[in-house]
Amino acid sequence: MMQEKTQTALVVGGGLAGMEATIRIARAGYQVVLVEKQADLGGVTGQLYSSFPRWEDPQRLLQNKLEQIERCDRIHIHTSTEVRAVVQVDGAFDVILKRQPGSVERQLRADAAVLATGFELFDASIYGEYGYGIYPNVIDSLEFEARLRQWGEGRTDEPLPQSVAFIKCVGSRDRSKGYPYCSKICCMYTAKQAGLVKDLLPQAQAYVFYMDYRAAGKDYEEFTRAVIEDRHVRYVRGRPSKVLPENGRLIVRAEDTLMGVPIEVEADLIVLAAAVVPSQGTRDMAAMFGVPTDQYGFMEGDPFKPGQSGERVFFAGACGFAVETQGAQYQGAAAAAGVLALFAQD
Amino acid sequence: MPREKYRDKVPGLYHKVDAYHLVENLETCLACGKCVGNCPVASLTPSYNPRQIIADVLNGEASRWLQSEEIWRCFWCAGCYTVCPNDIHFPLLMMQLRYMAAENNYGLKYIMPFKRFGLRAREDGLTFAPGEKGREKIKRYRSNLGASPWPEISERARREYRELFDLTGTTAHLEKISDEDEKSVGLRYAEGRITGE
Amino acid sequence: MSEKRVVAPKEIFPAVPESIFLFRSCTGSMEYPGTESAIKEIMKILGIEVVMDPDQTCCSGYLLTCSAYKPELSLAVTARNLAIVEKKNLDTYMFCNGCYGYNRELAHIMRHNPAYRQMANDLIGRQGYRYEGRTVIRHVQEIWYRLKDEIASRVVTPLTGLRVGVHYGCHYLAAQYGILDDGGYPTFHEEIIAAIGGTPVFFKERQLCCGYAVGRGFTHKVETVQPHLYKKFKSAREEGVEIMTTVCPGCNTALDREQPNLAQRYGDEFNIPVIDLAQLIGLALGVPLLKLGFEANTVPLTGVLRKLGLEGGE
Repeated sequence: MMQEKTQTALVVGGGLAGMEATIRIARAGYQVVLVEKQADLGGVTGQLYSSFPRWEDPQRLLQNKLEQIERCDRIHIHTSTEVRAVVQVDGAFDVILKRQPGSVERQLRADAAVLATGFELFDASIYGEYGYGIYPNVIDSLEFEARLRQWGEGRTDEPLPQSVAFIKCVGSRDRSKGYPYCSKICCMYTAKQAGLVKDLLPQAQAYVFYMDYRAAGKDYEEFTRAVIEDRHVRYVRGRPSKVLPENGRLIVRAEDTLMGVPIEVEADLIVLAAAVVPSQGTRDMAAMFGVPTDQYGFMEGDPFKPGQSGERVFFAGACGFAVETQGAQYQGAAAAAGVLALFAQD
Repeated sequence: MPREKYRDKVPGLYHKVDAYHLVENLETCLACGKCVGNCPVASLTPSYNPRQIIADVLNGEASRWLQSEEIWRCFWCAGCYTVCPNDIHFPLLMMQLRYMAAENNYGLKYIMPFKRFGLRAREDGLTFAPGEKGREKIKRYRSNLGASPWPEISERARREYRELFDLTGTTAHLEKISDEDEKSVGLRYAEGRITGE
Repeated sequence: MSEKRVVAPKEIFPAVPESIFLFRSCTGSMEYPGTESAIKEIMKILGIEVVMDPDQTCCSGYLLTCSAYKPELSLAVTARNLAIVEKKNLDTYMFCNGCYGYNRELAHIMRHNPAYRQMANDLIGRQGYRYEGRTVIRHVQEIWYRLKDEIASRVVTPLTGLRVGVHYGCHYLAAQYGILDDGGYPTFHEEIIAAIGGTPVFFKERQLCCGYAVGRGFTHKVETVQPHLYKKFKSAREEGVEIMTTVCPGCNTALDREQPNLAQRYGDEFNIPVIDLAQLIGLALGVPLLKLGFEANTVPLTGVLRKLGLEGGE
């Protein structure tokens, strides 16, 4: 028996995980309202120049998803829009959306929600010793993706760096100023970024300061080794202690913990792999939809239902914890499967 | 040096060094080296290495550090602690490591100058008061400022300060300090990365 | 961590204290007595009452950390001194980073380990004292920063064009919680310098320590202290530092007294006078030179005073 598909799913967050969930739910015949705070869909993926472990162009992946979304008239996109309030009534959600500019409010009803509100980077300016916010040539990893795109497209106003140093674990694995957890994705994207320095600026040196490099994933170890062996990025084991200005350049002070000696490395650009922390949207939506969070604010699922909180709320992507592009898609698909199973029983 | 045998190491050495329970989170050390990179002494004497000292204390083999001159070079600036991701208070470990060295008659010559200062402080209630000639200068400078010629410290303060020296065994301890039994210490790893015997 | 490392001045001082207990520093009252004098003069201008007590002794942190003796003595001495302040219901203001660091550390140890507080109280109980752990330990530089704007409004001798290099010293910024700035990149002294009309100079090695703490000035002057300070002064000179400030008479001793030795050893004279931040504020606020006690300085301030038009003095 085939029931009429009248239900609507609300997806909050138009990054990769949210797009994936949207596409799959809509493809099954249900209505989807996709709410995105920014003016465009794409989330963090939209800011990336390349991806690991295959050096693929993330914009091609996004383009593919966007085309699927545009082709489907059951998908209703609200960009520049935030969820302002939610009331749960009789197994459904009354949702108030607010669109900027103009604060235009709009009310709708949804039968299930997928939260995909993502992450943001830890504010690295807390580390005075690294000079973020003090020296213009100290930037975080997402700012560096924009720089890579400029270099890749051959448009740069500034002189190209001769030496780029990457500092990992800025905010991660730091109980004193940051968080005790490992942010999981930084080792891999830093390897990617350092490799791209050597691709785009073959004359430049690239140094990666690492405490450990963690490459637990399919093809990850091979990817990282290739960055070291084929692209000749220098990996220096040691967590840098200080960044200081010297003669218009920056120097990084650290210990080379393999050799047990204090060292200095000169750099023109320093990239901080800042910790992955829940975005403000993640905090807000967790509170609004009553999703439990861990002590850091990442969403937590029911004990035996990963990615699900209660009957009708699902979450996917980095609002649960740091995740790679591929994992975000898997989680978006899993959340969609949860919604579809629910709708099929309604 | 032949291969080290872990079974020969001292179990629980960490708690013997940290007898005053001042550095109870030593095992949170990530061996990241941030301390060493920020250490002004390591930058001059690379064989002084706080990260390695922590590892050796945790592993139960600190004798090479106790016999070293390196541990007496620490400025106690706490640059290590400032940047430590786990707030390990290394200077307090260093302080206690030096106690242990001195108990084993190492580094006594680096304590000797403070025997004199300590015993003089016991009389003055103030530390680092100079000898007679220096005192005249202090009195002159203070008088020129319109202050009392000598810092205003009461007889009671001095008496009670002396008492605390005596009650805690400090006086006896200071009087006993002598470098006659000194066992020689030396730079243990002269070039940092090369382990010379 | 539950305690916040860096706090805003208004969090420390919802209201500016009317009276403070000023903890006598041995070095700041003997080696550089102008420090204590300058602080008292500025407090007078700011209308803050300074209370001292002749019963207070040396903090004795030094004897502890130079390994002369174990913590028992210093714990008891700390408890005794702070008990004296507690009787007056005041907070304790240090003007030496050493006193600040040791008192804080030892008070912290007694707070978290009741057995040590008991031990200290047993000892000082015989002398009629009892330490409760109530008095809060602060540093006078915190008041300078909190009242930066008021100090600026009272400047009579602006330090126009004077290039000031700041030496923070270690034992305020390092190792502490509830302080005014981040040890990674502090700026609050520079902000004070700018407020009184000077030009703060961010020289590369401004955060290198003085090298004298825990007695290394006695035991390892040649091996480490001098090459270390040489590095620091070279960096200061490269950026044109004309005068250096400290907030610790101990640091002041190292940086000032060691300069002739550096000159002799390296054949390189720096002639950068080193004074306490309070003395510099005193200069700007028009405190008479006689009350600032620069005669105790090894490197004379002649050039700086001439530049400020204070030559000859009052």
